[in-house]
Amino acid sequence: MSKNPFPLSKDELLKAYRTMRTIREFEERLHVEFAKGDIPGFVHLYAGEEACATGIMMHLTDTDRIASTHRGHGHCIAKGVDVHEMMAEIYGKATGACRGKGGSMHIADLSKGMMGANGILGAGAPLACGAALASKFRGDKGVSVTFFGDGASNQGMVLESMNLAAVWNLPVIFVVENNGYAESTSVDYATAVDSYVDRASGFGLPGVTVDGADFFAVYEAAGEVIRRAREGGGPSLLECKMARFFGHFEGDAQTYKAKDENELNRANRDCIKMFADRVREAGVVTAAELGAIEKEVEALIDDAVAAAKNALPPTPRELTTDVYVSY
Amino acid sequence: MRPVVGIIANPVSARDLRRVVASAGSLQIADRANIVLRVLAALAACGVDGVLMMPEHGGIRGHVMRGIERSRNLHEHRFPEIAYLDMPVTGTAADSTRAAELMRRARVAAIVVLGGDGTHRAVVRECGEVPIVGISTGTNNAFPEHREPTVTGLAAGLVASGRVPAKVAFASNKRLEVVVGKRPPEIALVDVALVTDGFVGARALWRADTFRELFVTFADPNVIGMAAIAGLIEPVGRDESGGMMVSLAPAATAKTVLQAPIAPGLIAPIGIEDWRRMPAGVAFQPRLKAGSVALDGEREIHFNESDQISVTLLADAFRTLNVPAVMHFAARNGLFQAGAAQIATAFA
Repeated sequence: MSKNPFPLSKDELLKAYRTMRTIREFEERLHVEFAKGDIPGFVHLYAGEEACATGIMMHLTDTDRIASTHRGHGHCIAKGVDVHEMMAEIYGKATGACRGKGGSMHIADLSKGMMGANGILGAGAPLACGAALASKFRGDKGVSVTFFGDGASNQGMVLESMNLAAVWNLPVIFVVENNGYAESTSVDYATAVDSYVDRASGFGLPGVTVDGADFFAVYEAAGEVIRRAREGGGPSLLECKMARFFGHFEGDAQTYKAKDENELNRANRDCIKMFADRVREAGVVTAAELGAIEKEVEALIDDAVAAAKNALPPTPRELTTDVYVSY
Repeated sequence: MRPVVGIIANPVSARDLRRVVASAGSLQIADRANIVLRVLAALAACGVDGVLMMPEHGGIRGHVMRGIERSRNLHEHRFPEIAYLDMPVTGTAADSTRAAELMRRARVAAIVVLGGDGTHRAVVRECGEVPIVGISTGTNNAFPEHREPTVTGLAAGLVASGRVPAKVAFASNKRLEVVVGKRPPEIALVDVALVTDGFVGARALWRADTFRELFVTFADPNVIGMAAIAGLIEPVGRDESGGMMVSLAPAATAKTVLQAPIAPGLIAPIGIEDWRRMPAGVAFQPRLKAGSVALDGEREIHFNESDQISVTLLADAFRTLNVPAVMHFAARNGLFQAGAAQIATAFA
C-alpha cells in the first residue's frame, strides 16, 4: 500500500465511499420502484450529487443540525438516518422514520441532527438559523447547515436568513446545490440568477464555489467553513456545482436538457467514479475493498425495499399523534 | 481590415476558499459587466467598432447586453458591435483557452482579459502571437496590473487601431513550463509551487507549512501570493532575464523565516531554506517526491514518486500591452487632443 496522500484515513475514505454508494443505490432503486406505482407522493432523486452531501456531512456530528430540501434522501443518508426507516417512510409505512406520515419530502430524525427534508423551497434556511441561534446561546459549539438549490436561492426567506445569520454571526452554513437548473429553467436562460457567491457578499458573508463533483474539493472547503463557524468565525455560503443524473422529479420528461446530457454527465461527471478512481490509483484502497462495499450496500437496499413493502401502513389513530410537540 | 479586439471575461474567478481563509474579495458579476462596458466604451472611442467576446453562463453577458441596449435606446452610440464566439460553454478554465484559440484564428488585434492569474494563464496557452492585456478581477492577481479598466481599454483601442508603434506598445514576457510525468506540459505565468498536499481539493494555497519549492518568472515585493515570497527575498523584474527558485520549509524548522502576504490579508511566516536565480532555458528537477504542483497559486496536479517533474523558464514567451508606455506615447503625440469622439471619427 502506498502512503496515503489524502486528508482522510483509509477508514474514513471507505466510509465516504460507503455513504456515497448507499445514496446512489438508494436513489437508483427508487427510480425503478417508483415507476411501479407502489410509492405514494412524489420523489426527487439526488443521484450524481453524493459528493456534496458526503463531503460536508463528514465534518458534522449528531449534535450538529441540518435542514434539507425536497430532495433530501442524500442528506439523510449522509447524516446517518437509518436507511430502513427512510425507505419505509417513503413507502408510507408505520415503521418509517416519521411513522409513514411524512413521506419522501418530510423525513426527519432529530436524534441524528436531521431536522427534516422540506417540501417548501428555501424553508430550511430559517430553521437552520434557529438551530444555530440555539447552539450559540447554549455555547455547545454546534453548527447548522442548510441546503437549497439554485432555484430556491431566489426565495425571500433564504435571503432574509442570510441577513440574520450575518447580523447575529450565527454558526450556520448555506449550501447551494447548483445543478444548473431551477426545476426546468436553465441558468443559460435565467441570467438574472448570476452568482450565488454574489448573494452572500451582499450580506457580508464569505462565499466559496467548488466543484461539487470532486469529493476532495467539497471536503476541504466544507472543513474550513464548518471549522470557522464552530469556532465563532460566523456563517459562510458554499456553492457546489454539480450534475444530477435524474430529472427534477420522477416522471420528469427533462425536455429542457440536451438529448445526451445525462449520459455525458454519467460518463464524465460521476462523483463516485471520480472518487473511486482516485483512491484506487493512489494505491490506498483496493478495487476488492470497494467491490465489497458495493455488494454490502446492494444487499442493504434490497433488504430495505423488501422490508418497506412488507411493513404495515400507519393506523387511522396515528392521524392525531405527533401534531404538537411538548418542550 | 477593421480592427477587432477580443474580450475574455471570466465570471468564476475570485470564488475560491481564500474568501474564507483570508479576506479575499469577490467582485460581483454586475461589477465585472461594468468593467466590460467601460472597456467597450474606451475601445469605441478609439475607433474599434468590432469586438469578439467569450460566451459564458455566469451572468456577465446578460448585464453587458442590457447595458448596450439601454445606451442604444438613449442614442448614445457609446459601444462597438459585439459578436460572441460560437463555442460550447463548459464553465471551466477550458472556456478561456478555447476562446483565446478562436480569437487568435479570427486575427484579433489584442485580447483584453478579465480574471486573475489563472484566467490569464488559460488565455496564454492559446493566444500565440496575439498580445493580451489584463484587468485584475481574480484573487491574488500578481500578473495583471491594477489599473482603471477604462485606461486599459483606451490603450488596447489605440494599439488595435494602429496608432502606436509595436516597439512602444508591446512587452515581452517570461513563462514557466512544467512537465509532470507523462502529462502534456503545463504553463504558469508567475509561479510554480510544489506543496506536500497529495490532493488538489479546493485548489487554493494557504497552508504555508506545506510549501516546499517555488519557481517564479518575476519576484515582486509589490504583489501578494507566491511571487511575493520571492519578491521579499530579492526582487526580479518582469523584464529582467531569468527568474528565481526558492527552497521552502515549515517555518518552525527553517533557517530563515519571512513574513509574506500569501493571500489578501493573509500574512504568514514562510520558512526559507535557500534561493537562487533561475536562468532561462534550463530544465530544473524539483526535489519533492510526492505532493501537488500549484500553478499560479492553485493546486492543479497531484504527483507521486513515479512522476518525473521538470520546470523550465522560457524567455520571450508571449506579448502583453504595455499600457503605461502606450498612454505616455498617446499623450506625447497628442493622440487624444482631438477629443474621444473625433478619434472615433478618424477611424470610421
